[in-house]
Amino acid sequence: MSAAHPSSARRVRCLAAAAAALALVPAAAAAQSISAEAAQTAGYSSDGSGAAATQIRLFGEAASGVRFHVEGAWAARSGGESDAFGSAYPYENKIDLIEAYGDRLFRPRGALLGVRAGRFRTPFGIYHASDYAYSGFLRAPLIRYDGYFALSNTFLENGVSVAAGVPRLYVETALGAPGDVGEAIRPSGLDRVVRLQASYRSLIVGVSHITTKPYQSPRFAHGDASFTGIDARWMQGGVELRGEWIAGQPFDGTRTTGGYLDLRVHVPALGPATAVLRAERLGYDAIPPFALYARRYTAGARIRILAPLAVSVNVLHQSGLPSQRAAAADVALTYVLRIDGRHLR
Amino acid sequence: MAVHGRTAMMRIFVTAVLVISGADGTAAPRLSLVRAPTRLAAQPAAPGHTREGAPAGPTMDLVGVIRSGGRPQADAVVWLDAPDAPPSAPRRAVLDQRNLTFEPHVLVVRVGTTVELPNNDRVFHNVFSFHDGKRFDLGLYPAGTSKRLVFDRPGLSRVFCNIHPGMAAYILAVDTPYFAVSDANGRFSIRAVPRGAYTYHAWRPGGRTITGSVAGDEAPFEVSLP
Repeated sequence: MSAAHPSSARRVRCLAAAAAALALVPAAAAAQSISAEAAQTAGYSSDGSGAAATQIRLFGEAASGVRFHVEGAWAARSGGESDAFGSAYPYENKIDLIEAYGDRLFRPRGALLGVRAGRFRTPFGIYHASDYAYSGFLRAPLIRYDGYFALSNTFLENGVSVAAGVPRLYVETALGAPGDVGEAIRPSGLDRVVRLQASYRSLIVGVSHITTKPYQSPRFAHGDASFTGIDARWMQGGVELRGEWIAGQPFDGTRTTGGYLDLRVHVPALGPATAVLRAERLGYDAIPPFALYARRYTAGARIRILAPLAVSVNVLHQSGLPSQRAAAADVALTYVLRIDGRHLR
Repeated sequence: MAVHGRTAMMRIFVTAVLVISGADGTAAPRLSLVRAPTRLAAQPAAPGHTREGAPAGPTMDLVGVIRSGGRPQADAVVWLDAPDAPPSAPRRAVLDQRNLTFEPHVLVVRVGTTVELPNNDRVFHNVFSFHDGKRFDLGLYPAGTSKRLVFDRPGLSRVFCNIHPGMAAYILAVDTPYFAVSDANGRFSIRAVPRGAYTYHAWRPGGRTITGSVAGDEAPFEVSLP
């Protein structure tokens, strides 16, 4: 197995991502609708970390029907080791191109065919940025955080994704080269991701599988990383249950298993608040002392103070994470500014 | 067979028009919001209207401009009181979710209208409205699917997506068939209104509703919002 030097491989990926973004410029320039969104977040955790982040998004639709989405993010975190505020973006104090893709959705005879090309989040399980960033939780699930031998929520693909089927049952496949941001950076290679999603009334269930390269050092991480997951969401009367269970190997000779279950309550009686609860666990089977068995329980709320301004509060209790305190409280303020240029002529 | 043939030809024609209208990049093919009126069951005609609900006498088009702070106001709504207007056939309107945006930003419907809320994105949306107007939470639903609501009483619903904080829209249900939304230049047009004087109401997003009166022969119809 030959692995490219990490820094040169990363440069290649950055160039590929920049090329993908540039390829979208003509689409954006010829757009008939275009929106710009800036989200600012400031947060503090009782574990001693503070965070600030900005995300800029540009998205819309060209006259040809091609939709485009470009997103960049900057985020920095101070203090000691913590996974606070890492729900959707890496905190490395640098600007990252998160997504840059063109998307076309076809509806032949009621069927659904979506084609996406460029740089996008790895379509495994519950993976959209909005599912992470604005759902009321300020930390990524343990099984989706890049520091825990799991499936990072900042895995990105530079490639092509196709979704085909009918709205209630479709399969999404993606082929691409890793374009990750954050601490978990996979080496060059070909990723294969497949996800089957079915929905019936208020229940949405998905099964995903990915085969990729390990992001750990090639000195000890051999073979492929391979994960299979099942995810489900159910929502009725403002009460949502959602969760994922993921199992697989981060590299040969190891196994990671874990999942989370979220309860979100968003009912008129709570006014502008969405109450959230999460129970989760993570098991990383490896030779001691590298094995990791963690549990975390989170309760919190996301409160819309004004339409664009929200405050999120989480309190959590955890065990099995050696460098983190057993209890913590996180608070973050998010302001989203949006400019819509509708029907540009 | 002949009927089916005509229907098929009509579909081809409509499809061609949609394709052509969007082909030059100047206009997107957008679905018409309102289903063609179906014939009403036999019922007494409302004053000033035919049994089918159309105005019986002479009509006028009320054309005007809405300004706010002296500048043209887009997405503002004007509607006329018309207590004698007959009920209309069931109507449908669409509030699309596309490109992480509600389209249109302001949707006005007559009371009794069914509003479809399709998700035409590849992400989930969770549409809700908790204040004023009609209260609802449609839950999560995936790409290519749709949910619907009947707006059965007048009021303003502020509509959001619970997982996309930048998405916002308004659905205003009014108890009259005579209403319009202003374009980017503040212009609006309410067509086929029975001649006469009316009490009108006007509103813009983020503003309060004002009330005034307008005579049929008033031209142009100017509305100033605070």
